Amino acid sequence: MDRNQLIKWLKAPAKMGHKYSLHVIYFCTGCGIIEIPPSITSRWDAERFGIIPVATPRQANLFLITGYVSVKTLKPIIRTYEQMPEPKFTVGFGSCPINGGMYWDSYNTIKHLDKYIPVDGWIAGCMPRPEAIFVAVTHLWTLIDKEMANGYKKYRENYKYYRANQKQLYGKVEWPPLFPIEDKDEPSPS
Amino acid sequence: MRELELYFGPQHLGMVGNFSITLKVEGDRILEATANPGYLHRGFEKLMELRNWIQNFPMVCRINVVEPDSMEMVYSMAVEKLAGIEVPERAHYIRSVCLELARVGSHLFGLWAYANMLGFDTVAQWAMYHRDLILDLFEELTGGRVYHIYIWPGGVRRDFPEGFKEKIVKTLHSIGSCVPDYDATFFNNRIFYERAKDIGKITREEAKEMGATGQVLRATGMKYDIRRVEPYAAYNQVPWDVPTRKDGDAFSRIWVIRDEMIESVYMIFKLIDKMPDGEVYNKVPNPFKWNIPKGEAYVRCESSRGELGLYLVSNGEDKPYRAHFRTPSYPHGLTVLEKALKNASIADVGNIMISLYVVAPEIDR
Amino acid sequence: MKLLKEKLESIFSGVQVNILEQDRLIMSAQKDAVLSILSFLKGKGYTHLALISCVDWLEEKEFELVYVLSAYMQKDNGYTDKEKTNIILKTRISRGNPEFLTVISIFKNAEPYEREIYEFYGIDFKGHPRLTPLFLEREYKIPPFRKDFDTREYVKEVFDKIPFVENKDGKK
Repeated sequence: MDRNQLIKWLKAPAKMGHKYSLHVIYFCTGCGIIEIPPSITSRWDAERFGIIPVATPRQANLFLITGYVSVKTLKPIIRTYEQMPEPKFTVGFGSCPINGGMYWDSYNTIKHLDKYIPVDGWIAGCMPRPEAIFVAVTHLWTLIDKEMANGYKKYRENYKYYRANQKQLYGKVEWPPLFPIEDKDEPSPS
Repeated sequence: MRELELYFGPQHLGMVGNFSITLKVEGDRILEATANPGYLHRGFEKLMELRNWIQNFPMVCRINVVEPDSMEMVYSMAVEKLAGIEVPERAHYIRSVCLELARVGSHLFGLWAYANMLGFDTVAQWAMYHRDLILDLFEELTGGRVYHIYIWPGGVRRDFPEGFKEKIVKTLHSIGSCVPDYDATFFNNRIFYERAKDIGKITREEAKEMGATGQVLRATGMKYDIRRVEPYAAYNQVPWDVPTRKDGDAFSRIWVIRDEMIESVYMIFKLIDKMPDGEVYNKVPNPFKWNIPKGEAYVRCESSRGELGLYLVSNGEDKPYRAHFRTPSYPHGLTVLEKALKNASIADVGNIMISLYVVAPEIDR
Repeated sequence: MKLLKEKLESIFSGVQVNILEQDRLIMSAQKDAVLSILSFLKGKGYTHLALISCVDWLEEKEFELVYVLSAYMQKDNGYTDKEKTNIILKTRISRGNPEFLTVISIFKNAEPYEREIYEFYGIDFKGHPRLTPLFLEREYKIPPFRKDFDTREYVKEVFDKIPFVENKDGKK
């Protein structure tokens, strides 16, 4: 066997650990909270896919943003996302985070969630069925295998642009930056 | 001891829905609580002024995500009152059956939330499973599990399919035969009694002063139900009872919810027996050119949480001029919660909040 | 219902009362008489304040405040006709300098309704204990529910101008 094949096999246990035990953070962000309890209880059991909800962002792996995002909710979402340890994956649930959905002309909802935090995949529907969540999870497994689910790497590389977008929306961002960026008015992370 | 300010914030294991409370705490005792809504505000009433009367239907059912049928009902009643549309007899019975099925489903969701928070995981899984059986019924009738868009001005959209009445009866029998199991595991359990008795007590005078309706008022002994006060749909055609309890604490409120579920199931059986034949729909004019004459109306109905009302103003055009929803969670979540949390301990905050039966999207709209 | 209408018209001047169908009573009054009419109705048994709402009439340059009242039961059993009635009381205030008095001294649960109207329409309620923002968290030049606030223009100005984040090779 050649060296590349050996390295691929050595990386595989790590990928299997990422794939088959996704811990979802318990945060009910919007409308879609209606279809999450059916998928984690006994009828459409999500634990056979390895998904269980956990209490804090420090223990979580996967962030499901269920439904529309308002301007006031985006701050807890960004702070929760920044507290999760890497590797982390984000999935947008419903048609509202994609392009605003039904509330496209509202003054208080975020139209494209992609501009503020990186998103790995979307689930369409209003509301999607619980089976749609499981199809999305199996797609996420294929992406992890091919190393294409790297939203967290994109966040680390382009952090300057994400933070500039967040600043343009809010005027002032209160928390210090997660990765070091060269900017005169930002304090460096201590 | 010093004072601390804590945030029982949106990302919390004891919080159902996107809502936050700011607590001022000394040791373990809460001195003052401030509710902090606004995480789900979409500006619904402004968006409704930019869309036609018919285009507002898919918008209206998304205000209360747990029980969307009562929102559609109150909007249909308001539009029918302004435009002077009559509804056939069979449609009244079908509307009542749909509303009672939605009420049972919503109470089962509330039971999941409460039992999960107290730690009774078995009962939570049973309740969610039985709610899924009811959502299967809705999916066969209307095509969608959660958002139905079935009740609209003039009646309902389509008639019951073949054999649907027998399916309803069979599903409700399979849920009702599990009631002794629920009683033995949760409602008659000594641990539930110790954890919920005398917690979050609201007397009758305080509830009347703060504008509370629904379970918060019925748990203090007052038989106030809008289905009795001004009957709408087919509620005055069958005999039924309004369940109450005496004490006004969290224990009484959960028992009132259980009694209401059983009463709704019996009501559905009686309504199905008595349903007449006939049409289900009166035609409305061309929806793209439908102008409703000038006027205003305030209608109300009883959702699973209390009195739900709508104040609708029309200017003679094809769009509403002003629509304002009076949702039952508005006084419960903003005024009653701040009163009930005084001098409680931190461990009881989730208990009190979920037993007051507050749904966060209803407050923010 | 007719007795109530006659009593109201005899005691307060400048009040117009209409009875629509059998359960609805709509009256419009001058803005100075509102507090005394509300205390009179509360003494008659209408103790449940269901809603305080506001309508923006742009062409007539006026705001219209709407109070909806109904009654709880007096005894434990048995409904009288009084519980079926809904009373809607409307007044008009000017749009150029909008301010009014608070009704918290009569009905205690009016506090969040008045806070919301202050936030969305800009009407100042004198004597209110806390007029802090309830739902919104940013400042708007025109309060958002007024008819001259164009929400589609606002979306184009604020949200659509924020750029997408692109990778080094130009992909999103």
